[in-house]
Amino acid sequence: MPTIWLILIVLAVAAAGYAAGRGRALRGVGGEGRSLHSTPAYHGANVAMKSAGPALLLLAVWLAAQPVYVNGIVSAMIPDSAVRDGTSLELTLAEVRRTARGLDLAVEKGLMDEEFARDAGVDPADMTARLRDSGAVVTSAVTAPVLEAARKFRALDAAGGRFMAAAVVAAAVLGALWGIGQARKGFRARNVVERGIEAALIAAASIAILTTLGIVLSLLFNTVEFFGLYPAHEFFFGTSWAPSFSGRGGSSELGVPPLLWGTLYISLVALLVAVPIGLFSAIYLSEYAGSGVRSVAKPMLEVLAGIPTIVYGLFALLTVGPLLVDVFGEGGLLGVSWQGGGRSVMTAGLVMGVMLIPFVSSLSDDIIRAVPRAMRDGSYGLGATRSETIKRVVLPAALPGIVGAVLLAASRAIGETMIVVLGAGAAARLSLNPFEAMTTVTAKIVSQLTGDSDFASPEALVAFALGMTLFVITLALNVFALYIVRNYREQYE
Amino acid sequence: MPEPDVEAGEVKISARDVQVFYGDNHAIKDVTVDIPDKAVTAFIGPSGCGKSTFLRCLNRMNDTIDSARVEGDILIDGENIYDRGIDPVQLRAKVGMVFQKPNPFPKSVYENVAYGPRIHGLAANKAELDEIVEKSLRGGAIWDEVKDRLDAPGTGLSGGQQQRLCIARAIATEPEVLLMDEPCSALDPIATAQVEDLIERLRGNYSVVIVTHSMQQAARVSQRTAFFHLGDLVEYGATDDIFVNPGDERTEKYISGRIG
Repeated sequence: MPTIWLILIVLAVAAAGYAAGRGRALRGVGGEGRSLHSTPAYHGANVAMKSAGPALLLLAVWLAAQPVYVNGIVSAMIPDSAVRDGTSLELTLAEVRRTARGLDLAVEKGLMDEEFARDAGVDPADMTARLRDSGAVVTSAVTAPVLEAARKFRALDAAGGRFMAAAVVAAAVLGALWGIGQARKGFRARNVVERGIEAALIAAASIAILTTLGIVLSLLFNTVEFFGLYPAHEFFFGTSWAPSFSGRGGSSELGVPPLLWGTLYISLVALLVAVPIGLFSAIYLSEYAGSGVRSVAKPMLEVLAGIPTIVYGLFALLTVGPLLVDVFGEGGLLGVSWQGGGRSVMTAGLVMGVMLIPFVSSLSDDIIRAVPRAMRDGSYGLGATRSETIKRVVLPAALPGIVGAVLLAASRAIGETMIVVLGAGAAARLSLNPFEAMTTVTAKIVSQLTGDSDFASPEALVAFALGMTLFVITLALNVFALYIVRNYREQYE
Repeated sequence: MPEPDVEAGEVKISARDVQVFYGDNHAIKDVTVDIPDKAVTAFIGPSGCGKSTFLRCLNRMNDTIDSARVEGDILIDGENIYDRGIDPVQLRAKVGMVFQKPNPFPKSVYENVAYGPRIHGLAANKAELDEIVEKSLRGGAIWDEVKDRLDAPGTGLSGGQQQRLCIARAIATEPEVLLMDEPCSALDPIATAQVEDLIERLRGNYSVVIVTHSMQQAARVSQRTAFFHLGDLVEYGATDDIFVNPGDERTEKYISGRIG
């Protein structure tokens, strides 16, 4: 039975249970809803909750567990000799599953009957031909062990599906009956439903947390695997980044310092652009601008934050890069030849800085406006001017929050990818010249994982180690920023 | 409590036909009043009657509110403070202000008091600044309590201490007039008594104007009282007269607790 039908049946049982529970609660008090502890709707909701909740949970668990169980049994049936040379058990299992689907398809189309599909005496070659005719995806001749495993797979899968349907419907009905049995005068259905809602909210929150945990763990395991293939000290202290994809083991140099240097250098340039401009515009918006200017200027600034980073990347590549070459390049305005090509730390840093302006300005604006009016009044009342008040009272009071905003912007800059892919170049280099092309951790993650790469090689796995490095840096920055922002909140309470 | 020197005190502030508008709202109507020097003048009246608004006109604090508009003349020592030639920043150094809620800056006690002298360049060197800070803290009747912790944050003091710190901060710029906007409304009775004692002492050197919701406080600390109602100055005179023989029916009702 398709799962969607099962879900609909469970929901139907729950709906019927709702009506039944509601009705029973009302009948139990002779139609006098007031003498119930909870309104009839809560008794109904209690029934629906008890019927649909456990049943759907069971369904989800079963759907996750059954393939694991079936795979375990089937893979035990496949002898080592049946695994083709150069492939793995995993690939053979995939073939088993494909064959099983092919059998399903053939039966469905009437090319063979169920008896034939289950018959162990059929010749594999004959079966392969029939499967091809039915249009199933069969890559090569189906061997006898695979065919047998596929039959077993079908049988287990079908049996599992039937058991699952029975168990889920039973759970729904039993839950409904339990709930209906509770629908009596003194039963506190309202409190029970409240707890149910709480459980649902906790479940929603846990999904987000568990996903994060899953991502971190997958990063971690792959990083550990990478360090099994490549020495950690060379990764952290090697000054050269030269991956090779020729397949010869051991010829790659995967030192992270050039990439980290590029990341930090570009972020530094970006922050040098974004922090003064962002902070000054925040001060203007919060302290000087009239409400009319503010109502126009603030949304305009925030539009900057809505521009996709790939567009900034194009802007860096096509406008800012050539412009910088015209100024700092060979035969340029300044008569120096610092910059060779359009792609450089400066190009990416400047554009990234523009991207970060709204971050800094919007957060700082909120923080500056959160400084109580009483502080400003106190300063004005002593005869201070606006800029004296800002410099000596408002900014010191807001400083921890502003530092927090800057750190958040920094972690954003470190994680930024598209602008550096297009604007900074691809050469990993340890250099102080900001007009030279460099590359960053994020850009290299992209280039290591795009194209055909074997996921068991250090050249591909290094991406996870790079990701982990970035994750640790940005996490540390975020934690530090949150710590500062939190302390700031306590300041004038 | 006769106060013979009050009637003799010279007029420090004189307001003529003052109108204040917040947008379309006419908050103060035709207020004309003379405030004496070296005396405490109390503004009383129900909430929203305009007494705080009028107080804030006296040092042009309403300039910091976009929608506020002031008409009429206010003269301090014969000089119109709304004249074009007057710099509101200079004016506020001369007319100090203490606010309803104690608002020390999130700085040390010392820096709080040194703030005004620093921005106005009143001290030539550190020794002079130290002297001004000590004098002001003594003037604020808080020196003995904070002399050992001048580097501690001003926000860490108790509410009453914070308010006296704010008064010390205000007198550090050597103002001639001290405006107080309900300075005791956030304080407990003991701290209130301390601040009231302080106000009594300040009267010797400054013209003090205090807005208060407490009629007992007005009676205790002030020599002259102005009663505001719905933006009008209803009655103004010696405090004893106002409380004993109110001339206007509204004043009498307010004082006896039947309105407001």
